[in-house]
Amino acid sequence: MTTAAGQTASGREPGANRPPVLELNGITKSFGPLVAVDNLSLVIGPNEVVGLLGENGAGKSTLLKILTGVHQPDKGSITVNGKKVTLRNPQEANAAGIGIVHQEQSLFTNLSVAENIVMGLSKQGARSTRFGLYRWGQVNRDAAAILARIGSRIDPRTKMSDLSFAHRQMVEIGRTIEIARETTRALDASDADHGTPLVILDEPTSVLERNETEILEREIRKLKDVGSVIFVSHRLEEVLRICDRLVVMRHGRLVADRPVGNITEDELFELMIGQGARSQAPASAKADAPAKAVLTVDSLSRRHTFHDVSFTVFQGRVTAIVGTVGSGREDVCRAIFGAEAFDGGTITVDGAPVRGWSVRKAIAAGIGYLPSERGVESVVGGLSAARNLTLTYPDKARAGALLSPALRNRLANLWFERLDVRPRDIGLELERFSGGNQQKVALAKWLIAGDLKVLILDHPLRGLDPGASAAVNELIREACRGGAAFILLADTLEEALDLGDEILVMRDGCVTARFDMAREHPTSLDLLEKMV
Amino acid sequence: MNEKATEEIGNGGIRRTFAGFGEIGILVLLIVVFSILNPAKFPTVANLNTILNTAAVPTIIGVGATFVVLMGRIDLSVEGIMGAAGLAYVLLSPNSRTSANWGFGAIVVAIALGAGLGVATALLHTRLKVPSFIVSLGMWYVGLGIAAVLFGQEMQPFLSDTDTSVWPTSAPLGISNSYLVALGVAALGFLVERFTRLGRVPYAIGNNEAVALLTGIPVARYCIYAFAIAGACSALAGVIASMSLGAGAANVGVGMVFFTLAAVVIGGTPLSGGKGGVLRTLVGVLVLSTLYNGLILSGVAPSLQSGVSGLVLVTAAIAAGWSQRDRLRIVK
Amino acid sequence: MKFGGIRSIRPEKLRILLAPLAIFLCLLVVVSVAVPQFLHGGGPSIIAQQATPILLIALAQCVVLQVSSIDLSNASMALLCAILSAETLGPLGIASPCLCVGVVTLIGMLNGAVLTFTQIPSFALTLGTLGILQAACLVITGANVVYVTSHLELVSWLFHVQILTLPIAFWLSVLCAVLLWAFIRFTATGQGLMAIGFNERASILSGLPVRRLKITAFGLSGFLAGLAGLSVIAISGAASSYGLGSDLLVPGIAAALAGGTAITGGVCNPINVVFGALFVALIPVGSAAIGVSTQAQSIVYGAVLIVAVAATASRSRTGIIK
Repeated sequence: MTTAAGQTASGREPGANRPPVLELNGITKSFGPLVAVDNLSLVIGPNEVVGLLGENGAGKSTLLKILTGVHQPDKGSITVNGKKVTLRNPQEANAAGIGIVHQEQSLFTNLSVAENIVMGLSKQGARSTRFGLYRWGQVNRDAAAILARIGSRIDPRTKMSDLSFAHRQMVEIGRTIEIARETTRALDASDADHGTPLVILDEPTSVLERNETEILEREIRKLKDVGSVIFVSHRLEEVLRICDRLVVMRHGRLVADRPVGNITEDELFELMIGQGARSQAPASAKADAPAKAVLTVDSLSRRHTFHDVSFTVFQGRVTAIVGTVGSGREDVCRAIFGAEAFDGGTITVDGAPVRGWSVRKAIAAGIGYLPSERGVESVVGGLSAARNLTLTYPDKARAGALLSPALRNRLANLWFERLDVRPRDIGLELERFSGGNQQKVALAKWLIAGDLKVLILDHPLRGLDPGASAAVNELIREACRGGAAFILLADTLEEALDLGDEILVMRDGCVTARFDMAREHPTSLDLLEKMV
Repeated sequence: MNEKATEEIGNGGIRRTFAGFGEIGILVLLIVVFSILNPAKFPTVANLNTILNTAAVPTIIGVGATFVVLMGRIDLSVEGIMGAAGLAYVLLSPNSRTSANWGFGAIVVAIALGAGLGVATALLHTRLKVPSFIVSLGMWYVGLGIAAVLFGQEMQPFLSDTDTSVWPTSAPLGISNSYLVALGVAALGFLVERFTRLGRVPYAIGNNEAVALLTGIPVARYCIYAFAIAGACSALAGVIASMSLGAGAANVGVGMVFFTLAAVVIGGTPLSGGKGGVLRTLVGVLVLSTLYNGLILSGVAPSLQSGVSGLVLVTAAIAAGWSQRDRLRIVK
Repeated sequence: MKFGGIRSIRPEKLRILLAPLAIFLCLLVVVSVAVPQFLHGGGPSIIAQQATPILLIALAQCVVLQVSSIDLSNASMALLCAILSAETLGPLGIASPCLCVGVVTLIGMLNGAVLTFTQIPSFALTLGTLGILQAACLVITGANVVYVTSHLELVSWLFHVQILTLPIAFWLSVLCAVLLWAFIRFTATGQGLMAIGFNERASILSGLPVRRLKITAFGLSGFLAGLAGLSVIAISGAASSYGLGSDLLVPGIAAALAGGTAITGGVCNPINVVFGALFVALIPVGSAAIGVSTQAQSIVYGAVLIVAVAATASRSRTGIIK
């Protein structure tokens, strides 16, 4: 493990024995049977920028949540600026000197820049709001000083909603740093070498335009003067440019911790994916028989989200779309399903272009959608499993004008057997089933139609145990054999390679690569290269 | 979850300034229209005072209501608190039933009663996790009940001191006393809203409560402050209304809920909160008072007033929420 | 154990199912003990009479509550229907009730349409509608009492004829409750209403016609409110903005809640609402029996409302409550 002592850049006095900003020792966190973070140890020195890399599901977000007090580790210790701490909530993390700038901004859009900054500081007693009274002149001056420290010249009186996303990020960064600084100043008031704040940037550039990214990169470099940074991003060139050191997580473990100087992109890929980097997908067993085109997307666009996306879905085939955060693949699928609008391009179903698209029209045209957020978007928890099953196509359980409990129950029992849903209680509220079983019922809801043309699966295996995963997997294959077409947004590259007949790679809203699995045999590496 | 920030850079200074003065523009328009329709009776000093007299009580209530609405909550208990506080005031002042004479203390007790009921509303709302409109609806009834109990089964208590009943509408300083009180309350409200943490935090809570909670803001505590202020304002309004009436009555506040809420919304504080303020409510009340006054002078029946308020409320709510319509948006 | 279709009944579900009946029986016992001549002196008949309009409004409210909305204007719709019937029963005879109920049903549907189209909160919209309807009632009656001039016998028989000592109107409203229960359980529309209340987002993404369903819910609210208005006319033969039936809003909501309807939506058992309405109708008698003065009754209603909401709100489906 490299020490921080020799790595400080401008400004700070090196050499004086300052403790590491952060020391994690044997951190472990599990959610039921799933081990999210596995015996992780890490040291971050003062004025270091450390990049944190890892695929989806590697444990990055859990680690961040532990650092910011949202989760508590089951095992292991956290030491900040030499003091061992327990972080029970975000405020305690702030008090220890750790701040985070999230992907979704946590600012108040109707208030001014200065007010947002002071709102976060008030807990520590910003001078300008002593006794609960706002002295606006002082508030604005203090805010300007804070922004100047990170090199920003935004007018503190501007309303947040009038700023661009990049500028709002700057304000958020400025505020976060200041909160962290205030605390470390308070902690070691007597000591000239006061503790260093730690700022975590979680995918700060994923929605920025090119020029905005450059602004941000400049500021991040200046951040080094005032504290240490953990920089989480999927954009490898950025990470290699900005960071001093890289750590890579995979399956909850830290698999690499190296200075940026001596690592190549290829090595990084291997570290992120592991053994499977070079293994090839099994040859697709699908015959080359011409299949009927069921759905065609042509130059589909939506401002700021995705751009010029085109592909065709064929009967009996699985089109897998892979991509990281901000790739836009989820939004494309929702646009196809009518759940989100699109402002350019066309969608054609069975030869007819769609007009005035909506969810109900999409379903009537034979498109289905299994959302990734089960609890919020797919499962009507308070209804029984049987009713959930017959929610979209109630005609399957109808006798005349009324619903027939007998038909419904028969259908439900059939599918419960087929999918091995437990417990075999079709009248139980769906929210009382385990995640995997809920997913089985949610999937079956679309399959009972029998004549579904395209089913869009948004991260269908997320959060499922291996048994449920296998069952769902098999169901997809079976449905394909029966002629259904799928669009699959896979959690992992293995999933996509395993099930996909065609793989599309998206990055930042555009399709960057296309692989026909009948003819080509890409590896995970090939995919990853196009994703980041 | 799938949202990307696609904010435009500022909607332009011009639109924002206009939005600030749009309500005043409506007021001016109304004055012009009604002056043309009723040149003899509308644009007179006496009529101006009538309008201000009508506007005084809703303005006071509106100041308190603004704090509640800024946080996205609503207080429907206004009329109940007015009745209870009004009766408490009357019974503690020289009146036809008892010989109490608490002087200014009567007003203090009445306001304390209102604030207390407001605190109770807030506690029930935050602790029991019951929506504010239901709790305050229940508290409306509780307030009316308290008023009924105070009223008892005897004769209506009249204020003995006729000077008191004349005080609200007399205008030794040119503007009626009750409106001067209203202006004072509004000024105080404005200072709180602009220069104190008590007034600034509701804006944050109304804008994004999830972020507010994450940042450690004690939302429940601010609910208590806001409802206490609203209750106190309703109580003060009840006292003044009772003074004008010259007697204690449980229904002294009838119709005020619609009037005030419509005024708040048309003044530019949306029911979802986060925007607007006390001064805007002040203008909103003036707009509605002028509207009613003009309508009455033009021969429209006074009983239509709650209908007009209702229409204004709905229209303003629709206008305020129009830009946020979205196919997947859930509003209950 | 379970055999395909036969669900096991969990103890807490049983408790929720029987709670409204239990609450009503408790209060009935208290009243019978405190007022010995209650049961034999025609007490039940009077309570049933008073409960009828409350029950109908409560049913109206529970349909709307089921989709996680609220209708603050349905009590005013009932009053409007009563007033219109009072005015038109004489000249139009039997067509009058049908027409009046039809009018308020349309008003309810309009509520639903505006709501779904403009996406403003239901309490705001229906508060506005409440104001408009109150004004309408005042203007039509001229703040006077409107008496039915003739043909009152077309509706008054509803409360003169009795079955098992209770007015037939009460039994008919119980029938309404049963029909509503069946409607919710056995039709796709009813299933849709339940789904929206539990998870509107998932309902949209499952292809339910959410707009149409909400309009249906508010339309039903108007329809049942209209029936409540008819019952008011049938009881008193007159209608006014201040008399019988002018104050059904809070009792109606309280009865729906006491009948186990959750304000968070999804859950609505119309048969239990019958017991909720009986409970609320007993409150004046009950509170007098335990010594609460008539003036303080308003306090009791308010308190019952708050307690009922707190008791029935589903804790698991919490988000940010405003």
